[in-house]
Amino acid sequence: MILRITVYLILAFLLIPLALIVLFSFNASPSFTFPITGYSMRWYAQIFSDPQLGSALWKSFWIATLTAIITFLLGAAASLAWLRLGRKGRTVLEILCITPIALPGLFLGVSLLVLASQVGVQLSMITIVLSHVVLALPMLMIAMRARLALFDPNLEEASRDLGASQVLTFRRVTLPLIAPTLISCAVLSFALSFDEFVVTAFVSGTETTLPMYIWSMMRRTVTPLINAISTLAMVFTIAIISIALAIAAMKRATNLSSRDVA
Amino acid sequence: MSPIIEITDGNKAFGSFKALQDINLSIAQGEIVTLLGPSGCGKTTLMRIFAGFESLTSGSLKIDGKDVSNLPPEKRPVNMVFQRYALFPHLDVFENVAYGLKVKGIGKDEVRERVRNMLRIVQMDHLQQRFITELSGGQCQRVALARALVNGPKVLLLDEPLAALDLKIRQHMLTEMKRIHAETGATFIYVTHDQDEAMILSDRVVLIDRGQIVQVDTPQDMYNRPNCLFSAKFLGETNILHGTIVEDASGKSAFRSAEGSFHYQPTNQIASKSAAIMSVRPEAISLFAENPARDNAIPATVTDVLFTGSRSFYHLVSDGGEALRAQVQNTPGLNRPNVGDRVHVCWPHDGSVVLPASPSH
Ligand SMILES: Nc1ncnc2c1ncn2[C@@H]1O[C@H](COP(=O)(O)OP(=O)(O)OP(=O)(O)O)[C@@H](O)[C@H]1O
Ligand SMILES: [Mg+2]
Repeated sequence: MILRITVYLILAFLLIPLALIVLFSFNASPSFTFPITGYSMRWYAQIFSDPQLGSALWKSFWIATLTAIITFLLGAAASLAWLRLGRKGRTVLEILCITPIALPGLFLGVSLLVLASQVGVQLSMITIVLSHVVLALPMLMIAMRARLALFDPNLEEASRDLGASQVLTFRRVTLPLIAPTLISCAVLSFALSFDEFVVTAFVSGTETTLPMYIWSMMRRTVTPLINAISTLAMVFTIAIISIALAIAAMKRATNLSSRDVA
Repeated sequence: MSPIIEITDGNKAFGSFKALQDINLSIAQGEIVTLLGPSGCGKTTLMRIFAGFESLTSGSLKIDGKDVSNLPPEKRPVNMVFQRYALFPHLDVFENVAYGLKVKGIGKDEVRERVRNMLRIVQMDHLQQRFITELSGGQCQRVALARALVNGPKVLLLDEPLAALDLKIRQHMLTEMKRIHAETGATFIYVTHDQDEAMILSDRVVLIDRGQIVQVDTPQDMYNRPNCLFSAKFLGETNILHGTIVEDASGKSAFRSAEGSFHYQPTNQIASKSAAIMSVRPEAISLFAENPARDNAIPATVTDVLFTGSRSFYHLVSDGGEALRAQVQNTPGLNRPNVGDRVHVCWPHDGSVVLPASPSH
């Protein structure tokens, strides 16, 4: 009983703020107080008439897309390397790919900023994308490591044995087997990048992404517009994560390693 | 006819560990040869060398008369059935079997024809659309066999293909394997550490111990004429006596141990006075209540009787203290000794094999 109440309390604590945001996004008056006097779509209409907001949204979308693509490619390469490395090599690869997850975003932001200025790279969309990749890759590698541990190396040998070259084996066997996990991780990277704020704040230079735009709006006045934007972003992120989970579930249905069979 | 596989002075080392040493073996077209030996003796390593996943450290390997040292696995006329099948989990039964033909760019119609035909041979044609995760162990095994055989390999390598199956299916699959071998005419090289499987299946058995070939023979010859203690003990059960070779008054060789002197039919020359061992199969031994007044009879006491229906297994201790085992047919109406009975253990001259007591095996 106590346990159940605790769970409900925690859920309420997590969900009530979100529910409030959604609720107030439909509020006709700009105040944030109860009782709500009327409902309207005016804040949503405003979103689409704010050119700055549109541009921030567009940038965030592109940054997230690029982050997802680059993370996918790097993840695929790292996975292939992982399959071919011995125990020591795997450990090194894991340390390189996974440690950034332990760094607080603040330090990661500072260090990436320092790195960019040392190397002499202009802060831009590119630096934002690169730092998002640094954030997303560890998450992907953790998921991939679990998947790859199940990968039966005999499958690649069987393919070679049946007459397929190394390249063909990659296309016909390795990639189809690791792709579902890679794709679902790439989709998650998209979600991660889309609302990333802390690291972005350090490396964005003059660029304004959606989370940063929301932040700057908040500093001026707390407008209900933010509720509408947040609601949309939330719906969008939930959709993305659902897609990722669906892909992962599909993987489980069809792509068990042959080891699970015998 | 030239051999389909010929390995000459083959050696394989992993770092400083010698996995295979001085391997000389030649296998004829159409044979079923089993590689038999205890775990870790190098059977899989030898198969992987044939398939091209490992290369010899020294020595030469010819397949179908051609040196294949620089030929990658995909270019060799051999196919392998992996111990855990290694079927492609993202493809269905049909696509698994079709894989080899498709990557070789064979036309759609021919692929369908050949795959269907092969699935019929392994009796899996009714499950073409099934995914691999939905198959039983025995069915996986058939698909793995079909996937390899559909390519028409000159040599089919099978690495303990039945190890994952239970006894009943295993016996059934052994018969199937013989039928499929007859139907396809390919050379089968079959790895197992199960002596029964090796004896049922093979034309010749290659017995391996610690990376070295110990004996190559037909199952009958290997069972009846082992060339060393290791062979004698690895195939079937046997009683081992330790002693020396002596010459008796008439100049005939005899084997003398603590139990007495035994006559035997010499199959290999062992110098007089040298240490030797005598191997006597349990089924060569007869038990007598009275002293039969024959050669090779020693008194013993029954310590245990294991009744298994058509046969009984007797555990005995000779008066000299040697533990012996006998296997006796249970003919109806005959009195059989019981635990504690005094008996005479006896075997014919040709019921034993005398081997040099070499320390190596
Ligand atoms: N890649 C490798 N690196 C180092 N040692 C290896 C390697 N592959 C095999 N070995 C060693 O070589 C020896 C023979 O291995 P192999 O797999 O051929 O044995 P096996 O006869 O197939 O045994 P089992 O019946 O258990 O399958 C073993 O001692 C094994 O540890
Ligand atoms: Mg093995």
